[in-house]
Amino acid sequence: MTDPLTGPAAASLGVGIGWRPEIDLTVERLPGVDFVEVVAENIRPDRLPESLRVLRARGVPVIPHGVGLGVGGAEPPDPDRLAHLAACAEALGSPLVSEHLAFVRAGGLEAGHLLPVPRTRRALAVVTENVRRAQDALDGVPLALENVAALFGWPEDEMTEAEFLGELVAATGVKLLVDVANLYTNQVNLGLRAVDALDVLPLSELAYVHVAGGHSHGGVWHDTHTARVPDDVLDVLAELCARVDPPGVLLEWDADYPSDEALEAELGRIRGAMARV
Amino acid sequence: MSPSVSEAGPDVRAELARAQAELLAALVAGGQAPPGFDEERLRIQESSLIAKRRGAVARLRPDLVRTLGGEFAAEFTAYARGRPKPPGGSRADAHDFAEALRAAGRVSGQTAPPPAPGRRSRVRTFWRAVWGYLH
Repeated sequence: MTDPLTGPAAASLGVGIGWRPEIDLTVERLPGVDFVEVVAENIRPDRLPESLRVLRARGVPVIPHGVGLGVGGAEPPDPDRLAHLAACAEALGSPLVSEHLAFVRAGGLEAGHLLPVPRTRRALAVVTENVRRAQDALDGVPLALENVAALFGWPEDEMTEAEFLGELVAATGVKLLVDVANLYTNQVNLGLRAVDALDVLPLSELAYVHVAGGHSHGGVWHDTHTARVPDDVLDVLAELCARVDPPGVLLEWDADYPSDEALEAELGRIRGAMARV
Repeated sequence: MSPSVSEAGPDVRAELARAQAELLAALVAGGQAPPGFDEERLRIQESSLIAKRRGAVARLRPDLVRTLGGEFAAEFTAYARGRPKPPGGSRADAHDFAEALRAAGRVSGQTAPPPAPGRRSRVRTFWRAVWGYLH
């Protein structure tokens, strides 16, 4: 079934916010929420939260955002996790599904976090095959992959993350979810300039953008999604918007929720950064 | 297949699996850092992973946060360092932490209160019920 509001032809998502159960009512009544994202692992497609059904009935696109697939892992992606993502997209009539260029488990251990993959040609071959399997399982619903915030790099890295993602896009047609807060995190923690990444990423394949706040501890930036978006992150967003008109920009806020007014103000600041160009 | 991307044969997958397993063991299970990595960076990542677990457990068990007060963070770090997050996610982690505290005599009695839904969700459920009753 193709929903006319969110079908594959839909080019523009607008400005959105990550839907979380703790702020479900807030998200429903916040003005200027054009689309939302839901963490796929937190819902059951056969028992969607009422709030998401309310939003869908209003025509608000809902994007399932996976955090546990580990498409950058050594194992082929788990068919059950892929089936779950596909079922979420089906139940929500989603225009796309998003995940991360990351590994989240290995050797029987769970990281509980998105860890960077070794960016070598050999690893690229594995991840390319993983992405193709994921695309096959999603049955025509486009997949977008997100760049991650890293605290370390692999000694054998041969490419930047932007170059690695560029190769993946070229080989598989996967779309990009560019997290400008993660670019900023890597700039602070690893000295990798965000604008250099923006120059290399194939932004013509951009699906949407993530924006979030975090905290600095001892000179290290932690992308916690629990604070106001710093101006430096909005500057990266403005740099991105100078290069491409992003189909969507979404605010992530995951805990320590502020007032509804504060969240509304954050969406306003995002719109302001997008309008700078 | 793009000409620049080679085939992912089983040996390539096995090599990647080994490398990722070694690194992850160093980050969450007290394993030795694989050669070539910036060890200081890995320590920061290890601490960050523990902080993330701690935040999730704090949200699930505000009673433990109240009981331990300023000691919560140090107690959780002592529990979690070198001990991977158990299968079962943050709820299992919270349960194991509470059990470890109880075993050490840091807290007493029943350690598994039912988790409460978020306040806004409860308010919403109430009003939806009222609405349904009136219509």
